[in-house]
Amino acid sequence: MTMISPEVRKQYTVTIGIECHTQFKTKTKLFSGANNDAREAAPNTLVNHIDFGLPGGLPVLNQEAVRLAVKAAFALGTTPQKFSKFDRKHYFYPDLPMGYQITQFDEPIILGGEVTIRVDGEEKVVHITRAHMEADAGKSTHPAGKDYSLVDLNRAGTPLLEIVSEPDMHSAAEAKAYAKELWLRMSYADVSYANLYYGNMRFDVNVSVSKTDELGTRTETKNLNSFRSVEKAVDYEVIRQIEQLEAGKPIVQETRGWDDAKQRTFSQRTKEDAHDYRYFPDPDLPPVTLTDEYIAEIKAAMPELPDDYRKKLQACGIDANTVEDILAVPATTKLVARVLEKSGPEHARRVAFWLLQPVSDEGEAEAAEVQASDEQFIALSELVAANKLSSTAAKEVLTELLKTGKDPEAIAAEKNLLQVSDEGEIAKIVSEVLAENAKAAEDVKNGQMKAIGFLVGQVMKRSGGKANPALAQELIKKQLSI
Amino acid sequence: MADLTTDDVLKLATLARLQLSDDEVAEYQRELGAILKYVEHLDDVDVSGLEPTSQVTGLTNVSRADEIIDYGYEPLDLLKNVPAVEKNLIKVKRMIG
Repeated sequence: MTMISPEVRKQYTVTIGIECHTQFKTKTKLFSGANNDAREAAPNTLVNHIDFGLPGGLPVLNQEAVRLAVKAAFALGTTPQKFSKFDRKHYFYPDLPMGYQITQFDEPIILGGEVTIRVDGEEKVVHITRAHMEADAGKSTHPAGKDYSLVDLNRAGTPLLEIVSEPDMHSAAEAKAYAKELWLRMSYADVSYANLYYGNMRFDVNVSVSKTDELGTRTETKNLNSFRSVEKAVDYEVIRQIEQLEAGKPIVQETRGWDDAKQRTFSQRTKEDAHDYRYFPDPDLPPVTLTDEYIAEIKAAMPELPDDYRKKLQACGIDANTVEDILAVPATTKLVARVLEKSGPEHARRVAFWLLQPVSDEGEAEAAEVQASDEQFIALSELVAANKLSSTAAKEVLTELLKTGKDPEAIAAEKNLLQVSDEGEIAKIVSEVLAENAKAAEDVKNGQMKAIGFLVGQVMKRSGGKANPALAQELIKKQLSI
Repeated sequence: MADLTTDDVLKLATLARLQLSDDEVAEYQRELGAILKYVEHLDDVDVSGLEPTSQVTGLTNVSRADEIIDYGYEPLDLLKNVPAVEKNLIKVKRMIG
């Protein structure tokens, strides 16, 4: 590969649109009553004649998928279409036993919408073209060195929402931010388990580069299942396409795959030579109509979305970047919001920082195993606020609290971590320390205030770290009559 | 409608993943052409002023609750219809390199 100089790179405008397949968290499939939780299931055990595409099988729409699609519409900043219908999209591929995919072609359940993304502190709106319900295909594996592939149809028929964006993104960072924001919205709207490891959300990125106002030929890199791979695939395609063009070669409009081990995209044989899907309305499935009452009912019951929590967390005095890290773990965010509600911003802020997890680019942050109740977190925070527990000691109590869910004050007492604010007891220690460190005491008395830190340290040490340092200092001064 | 061309038949064959001999191409060109010709009778019907529809029942929202259905057979029995199976996975011609 030749190197592209920054000057050449700058001449090109990058344009990116993203299609995201989100699996709905229904109990059963979109058109059959098979169990939809294929995570730990043995191959081809969550299937029936409908998923297998056997003649005579009649697909019947899952009501819950429609309800989740309506919620998704609100999460995407729009309202659902009152009329939508299903169509057949035909292609022959071994993971598609019916010979067609049931999807929504010209009248999808969601049209329009917008998603605000954040890159380097700047906000930007990405418009949604449409989002439609469709059935997922089966899953294939390709054993190394064999001349065959293997198909598991457990995933065939899983309800998907395919969310199509406008080509509004212009950098890999924006593409990644968009993928992340969609993930947040689908998680908080509670329409998907949104587990990237299990492929609950998969991203296809359409990338083109151009030196002029006219869009260049695009490629589509499919099935990216992490925010990082979205970013890397865009980066790779931009450089590859610019290199092609600079070498005088045309860009071939094609589907590409992403090789995560080699960190590169590769050309895939296309499913259809001439994308001749021969769409037509599915005669087995009557259209979906939604009443105003139904839509209003779902809207009224919408859970809070990422933007609602952003406002709350920022109101606790948490900086914008940290807010995003907290949002990456919905369970923590919701806990902090409840603490805010029950006991105010000071406690909420403290609990938020306690539970802050490092967020990996591979996907969502690992949620801490939380055994404790909101009240216990508040109780722990109150111990710190009342100077009964140092912030270091609080972390020790927290670790135990998360594991056992025991009363924080009981844990602190058990571990002998409670700060002593009993004047009499600390005064006794202070006089002992002053007696044993006459030189330092004398220095302090003569105005060398640096030495007071040493004396406080000695008091802390003798008290086993339990003395309240502010009180200790006060008592030292008092006993030295300064 | 113009007659079906050889290229039309070959394109259909590709989309249907069928490999046709020259004789078969000629045969399907004739047969499919005749079928299309027959369907062309529909062109005689005056549909001006009619809304296109794909549904004739007038039904909407035919749907079911999100509950697992026991269809009364072992899912793995469906594999008995499958020509080749390996460890309960369906064995097919290799899809990608």
